[in-house]
Order: sequence, then C-alpha cells, then structure tokens
Amino acid sequence: MGRWLLVLAILPFALSAQYTLYTCGASSKDYVVGAKLPASGIFLKPAGGEWRHAGFNHPFITAFDFDPRDPSVVYAAAGNGLLRIFAGGERWKILTGSDSTELLDVALDRNAPGTIYFGHTHGIQVSHDSGATWHDAASGLRRKYTAALRVDSRRAGFLVAGTEQGILRSEDGGTSWRLAGAAGIQVLHIEQSPHDPCYWLASTEGGGLFDSTDCGVSFESNGNLGVGRNLYDIAFDPASPNRIAVAGWGVGVAFTEDRGKTWQPRNAGLPATNIWSVVFDPAQPGRVYTSVHEDAIYVSADNGRTWSKDGLAGSSIFRMKFVPEAPRQ
Amino acid sequence: MTRLRWLCLLLPLSLPAQAPPFVQRVRSVVEAYAHPAGSGPLGYANIAAKLWLHEDPALCSRRLEELLDAPTGDMFWMYPISAIAYLDRGQLTDSARRAFRDSFRTYMPYRGDTENHWVMYYTSLYLMAQLWPDQDGDQWYTGKSSAENMREAAGWLESWVRLTTTRGQGEYDSPNYMGLYFLSMSYLSAWARDPAMQKRATMMLDYLTADYAAEELDGVYAGAHSRVYDREVLEKWNVASSDFGWVLFGLGHPLSPPANPILFYVVASAYQPPEILQRISTDRSQPYTHYERKRTRNRWRFFDELHGPVYKTTYVRREYAVSSDQGGTLQPIQEHSWDVTWSVPDPRGVENTLFTLNPHSSLHELETYFTFPPDIGISGVVSSKKSYDSPDKFVGGSPYEKIFQDQDTIVALYDIAPGARFPHINGFFSKDLAEVSEDPSGWIFARGGDALIACRPLQPYTWKPIEGGGRRLFSPYLKNGIVVQVAARSEFADMPAFRGAILALPLEFQLEPTPSVRFHSLRGRILEFTYGETPSADGAPLDYAHWPLFGGPFLEAPVDSEILILKYGSMRRTLDFRRLTVTDAR
Repeated sequence: MGRWLLVLAILPFALSAQYTLYTCGASSKDYVVGAKLPASGIFLKPAGGEWRHAGFNHPFITAFDFDPRDPSVVYAAAGNGLLRIFAGGERWKILTGSDSTELLDVALDRNAPGTIYFGHTHGIQVSHDSGATWHDAASGLRRKYTAALRVDSRRAGFLVAGTEQGILRSEDGGTSWRLAGAAGIQVLHIEQSPHDPCYWLASTEGGGLFDSTDCGVSFESNGNLGVGRNLYDIAFDPASPNRIAVAGWGVGVAFTEDRGKTWQPRNAGLPATNIWSVVFDPAQPGRVYTSVHEDAIYVSADNGRTWSKDGLAGSSIFRMKFVPEAPRQ
Repeated sequence: MTRLRWLCLLLPLSLPAQAPPFVQRVRSVVEAYAHPAGSGPLGYANIAAKLWLHEDPALCSRRLEELLDAPTGDMFWMYPISAIAYLDRGQLTDSARRAFRDSFRTYMPYRGDTENHWVMYYTSLYLMAQLWPDQDGDQWYTGKSSAENMREAAGWLESWVRLTTTRGQGEYDSPNYMGLYFLSMSYLSAWARDPAMQKRATMMLDYLTADYAAEELDGVYAGAHSRVYDREVLEKWNVASSDFGWVLFGLGHPLSPPANPILFYVVASAYQPPEILQRISTDRSQPYTHYERKRTRNRWRFFDELHGPVYKTTYVRREYAVSSDQGGTLQPIQEHSWDVTWSVPDPRGVENTLFTLNPHSSLHELETYFTFPPDIGISGVVSSKKSYDSPDKFVGGSPYEKIFQDQDTIVALYDIAPGARFPHINGFFSKDLAEVSEDPSGWIFARGGDALIACRPLQPYTWKPIEGGGRRLFSPYLKNGIVVQVAARSEFADMPAFRGAILALPLEFQLEPTPSVRFHSLRGRILEFTYGETPSADGAPLDYAHWPLFGGPFLEAPVDSEILILKYGSMRRTLDFRRLTVTDAR
C-alpha cells in the first residue's frame, strides 16, 4: 500500500518530463571571506536550455529541496541562512535569523505541508509554517553538527540525520533521537530510494557507504567502496530500481546495477576523480550529470560509461538536483 | 607638491615621542586617507575620509558610483559603505546615493563565519536599516523589511555584548582584528539613534579599550592572541593594534599609512578614552599580573560545549611583558599561545619577542571550527594562510602544548602524539636578541632590550636560520618542554650575575612517561607542572574554577557579571552592562 502511495506521489512529476537542473557551488578557487567572488551560488539548466547563474552571488550554498506543492519554490541551505528561492531562481528571501549559520542540508516533509527541516553547524531546525517560525529539532542530540538530513518519504516526522556521531533517527520530528548506525563516523550525505522507501544509503567521511534495508531503523556497512576516502553524494536512478551512483573524492563516480551488491567505477572521460555530486536525469533515462572539483559539470548519456564536458567550466558544484518545472494536472 | 604634502602628513606619524594631541592624531589619520600618496583611484576609505573633511564631493560621488557598479567584499564592503552613508551629510549626488541604496538590494554580502565578520555585518545592517526605515523586503538583499533587518541585527549585537561581558570574546586580543570591533562600536556609538544601543556601544568602546590597555607595552600588544599573522607575530609592532595605541593614547608608532580600521574608527565616533584608561595604558611603574578569561571560537564538532574557557595570564612591567594562555587549540590556525615581549624605543623593524610552539596542522583542528568538506580543508586554509601546513611556522596552537605561567616564569610542556604531522617544537630566537649564549648547564641566556631572558629547553635542539634574520630552535622530540625565566636588566649588575642567579634556582624535570617540571622561580615560588595536570605554585593548584573575566590591579570583572570595574589609584569607573550605566568615582 505504502509503495503504491509513493508511486502515485511521484507520478505527476515523472510524467511531466520537464525538469530544471539546479546546482549549487562556486566558480572561484580559494575564495576567502571578503575576497572578490566570481559567479557563485545557484546555477540552473532548464529543460532544453543552457546553463545560467541565477540570483545573487553567494559563496556558500550546500543543498536544496523544492516545495512539492509548488516546485517553482526552492529552499537552499546557505551560509547566510535558509533561502527561499523563487521566480526562476532570481528572487531570494532569507528565512532564518542570526541563530542559524552555515547551513548544510535541507529537506521538506512530503507528508506535512509547510514543514521544512535543515541541518546546520549547531543542530537541526524545523518550521511547520513554511519558514515563518523555527524550532529546535536537535535538543536530543549530544553533538549538534548535522551535515545530512532526510525526511522519510512515507511518514511525516520520520527523520534520518547524518552527524559527527553517525546516523541518527527520529520518529517524532526531532524531539528524540537514537543511533541507527555508523557510530562515531561523520556522515556526509543520506538518500532514500524512490523505488523502495525502506532502502536507504548514507555516505561518510572515511567510513564508506552504509545501507539500511529496514526503513532506516538500522544502517550497516555496505562494503569497501570509499573506505578511507570521502563520499559526497548518492543518486538513485528514477528509471531503474537497482541502479545507484555514488560520487567521491579519489573514487570518481561508482555505479551499481544490483542495488549495492557490487560497484564499478565509471570515470572514462572525466579529467579527475575528485567528484562532488552526481544526479540522474529523470526525463532522459541513461543521462547522468556529475561535477568535477574545480573543473566543470560532465554529462553521460550511457549511465556513466562515457562522459563529456557539459558546462560551468572552472566550477566546483557541490550538489545537483532536478526540480520539476511544473506538475502535470 | 603632492610628495611634500604627504611628507608633512607622515611627519607627525613618525614622531611618537612628541605625539600630538588626540584631535591632531585623529586628523592625521583622516588626512592620510583623504590625500593618499599614490595616484590610484579612490577607494571607499579615501571617499570616507574626504567626506569627513567635506572635500571633493563631486569626485567622491563619481568614484562611488564606479565602485558600486560591482560591489564585492562582503562585510568588508558593508562597513566602509555604511560609514559613507552616514558621512554623506548632503554631500553626495542623488545618483551616488541611489547607487549605494540600490546596492543593498542587488548585492548579497556573505555574513561570514567569524566573530569579526558578524559584528561588522550586523552593525552595518543595523545602521542601514535605520537609515532607510519602513521599506519592504523587496528593497533589501535579505528579502526582509527594514524593521525585520533591524530587529535581527539589534538582537545579535545585544547578544554579542552579553556574551562578551559574561564569558569573554571568542576572537580575543587579536592585534590584527581588534580594530574591526572598535570601528563597529564606534559606528553605533556615533550613529545609532536608539539611546540604549548608542550607550551600550559607547560602553563597549571603554570595554574593548581596557582589554587592550592592560596588556600593551608602549602600544605593542603582548601575547597571547586568538589570531595573528606570520609577520606580526615576530615584528610585534607591525599590525593594526599599533594604530590604536597611537591614536587612543599617543603610544608607540602607527603604521605608515595606518590600516583602515583606525580610519573608520575615527570618522565615526572618534571616541577618546577617559583619563583612567589613559593612565592604565601608560603606567608601567610597578610590575603587575593581569588575568583574563576568554572563550574559544565556536567549536562545531568534537566537543559537547560550544565554547571552552581560555585562561590568560599576563605579567607586565616597564621593560617587558610575559603572556600566555593554558595551551591547546583554542582557536584554529592563527592562535599564539605565549610569548615574551620586550620594550624597545622604536619597535619598527624589530622582532622583540621570544616563544616556542609545536607547529600543528590537522584536518581535525579545522573540522572543529569550520564546515569545509574534508578534502579541501587544509588546501583551502593554505590558500590564504600560507604557513598553516608548514613545519617551520611560528603561528598556531597545538593540542600537544600545555602552558603554566607564574609572574614572569613560563613552563611550556609538550607531549606530541606519535604520528603527528610535525613532531617537533619550534622556538623563535630573534635577530634582535643580544648577549645570546648557550650555557653548558643547558640554559640559553639572552637579552632583549632591558629584559634578561633565560630559557632551558628540556631536550636537545639544533638551530635553523630564519629568512630575514634570527634563528629557529628545532627540537624533534615528542616529549619536550621549555622553562623560561625573565627579569629586568636593572635587577642584576650584568648578564653573568643573572646567569648566576638562574643557575642557583633548583630545577627538576622528567620527560617520561609524561613531561613534568619542578622549578624554584626567580620570584621565590616553587612551580610544579605535569603535562595534562593542574599546575601549582607553592603547593596551591591554579584555581581555574574562579578565574576572573578580568583580574588584576587595573581591571576587575567576575565571570557572568556583565560588570567591568576600571581601577587606577583611587579612580574607579564601573561599566554596568545590565543597567547600561557608567559610574565614575575618585
């Protein structure tokens, strides 16, 4: 029943076949605060369009999510706070105040309209009114730093957070937390499978990949992929339940075709294997984008077997996400 | 003519012995920026200086519009442009005024990640929201209305003052960055219309000035510091704090030309410290020990508490100062944990300091305080702080260094973890030391100005040359330490007499399993210190639990009190930040 609900939930977007690729990052090397900043922040590639810089210059945007009720509204985790971005990326509003700095991840609760969570240097905050007011959702965490955060796509208030203490889970909107795995390892990213909501992956700093097959209750090591290195991104192929890509530093882009049992590096055509992000194009099965540190965004039409340069030369793009341009009615 | 004019301007800056009155010192700083020596285009600081002098408004307007065509610099842009907005006073063209108003809609400065960034950011946002009230969010880069911006800025500024007056600054005693706090409070003191904000800021000027005045020597800021750069940690005069020593108190020598924080300080309030601070800053007739408690920078990871305590001890007398914190990585990258600073008649070009450190570089340190992705943490820091990952560096704290200071005695112990990136200690021995001798006893004797210095490294060492002069003591042992005893030249007939006195002092130490020292100091105290344990003097453990926010003959403030008492003779000034009152008594 739950799986059917999920399929029904994503169906309008999948059928629309019109997505904008949102990315965030910097196009300058060695920026320090106060220095001249070339175009940085949000870069967009609309369906069938070209890359463009959108809105303000900002050196520190790490992640975004979109409002499922209105995908033209995107929320970005930024140095200056949580940003609401709209009007094609051109208009921004900082939704948070001086109590939140250097935001690291953001996730909207698909089952609780208006509910936004973000992870930052000093914990997790939640808003239940689309960002008008904020409340602490990390009082139960001994160590606050939260680099990754996801809300279960099936149930409101079910959270999985990546902290310096490992993967933690809350079933009450952040009121209480318990360890779910990767104890003592800094978690860098978390994703939930769109095909099987009980399957989760978490990437870590030095500890490799961790997976959960029990709906995020517990996470176990997935094997040796990325152990001793840092894995920054995870992407599930919306077109194929068993295909997943992982990006990492010195790892490049690794693909699995059997849902994590085996992994193969696919870096042909990439100039280096220092990779920040990877994402599947939901509108074009087989097309994948990845970002190489201080180089460019690359695209593959064959699920990563070959890559070619796509754009944003000189950039370091930390995160990419396809956002539906308009839900089909 | 231009060169002659510039020489005339610099003349008062180069004659500190005849320091002109405060108003003239202020004027000379403004003149240095209003009429710069170079022929390049005006910058924001030049425009601010000219507007202060009511000079060349048409030129200022034109140039301002050019600069605002592509704003850059984040909060380092906000503070100059905010000052210009308030110095305008009807001088700028409407077009220029529109340009800077529009820039706060079209340019989003980064708020930054450091205490000074936030003070500048919120001070500027507060003042600009005050200048343009009743505007909606469409007119601001924040997307928030003037009232929302002002409320947020005021809230942060009030919380910063509260935290500073209860637990101390996090970016404490930085000779480089102190000016940014001074200028921010100067702005609010001059331009905030809310009487409470204006009063609070003016009181903070006294507070910040007192913090500096008790620990400077002829205007030179003695260590320990939260943040310093490679040059100024050696040539201690060569940093922005010297501008403040000169302008505020007529001490020492300003930079030439002065760094821009003093310019923006004087074009706002140009607040002249009260007499009691002038006395505190200049009276070195009696040796004294001054205590401060500060706090660490925000520790995002690896600690349960956001801020840890910093315990500072500073011994000051006419000839020298000795200052330290307790050791450890209290700040990332640029911490300076202890030094001896000696007085010299003219410190320009002089490296009047001595210290040791374990050069430490680690991702763990950076991740404690920053959010960098791990793979670009160290390289990102090295791009702007070149020496961070150098084994030869002279800047930075170490988790493997613990320090005990009692008056003018320092015991620094090192217990470096196997596998540490740089398993040695560096000691800075200046080109400006005189009478340096390596005694068969193991002590090194030297004289810096009128300070006699005895150092006892606890492990063998070699000397390595330093580019530009001086020598680096290099001691590649994990278990290590140094004992330093300083005295005034006037206390002894000559260096041999000092040597004899030092050699007569009982010193016992062991390095295994843990470095430990028992030393009978020149001041008659028995000092005992084992790495990682609480040190003791004459059997009494150091009382960290009751360490004052400020303590000593000149300043008094209990932790959490929000009250600072300035003391000089029978003079008293009490700053009560809870009630926002200043009470003077004699």
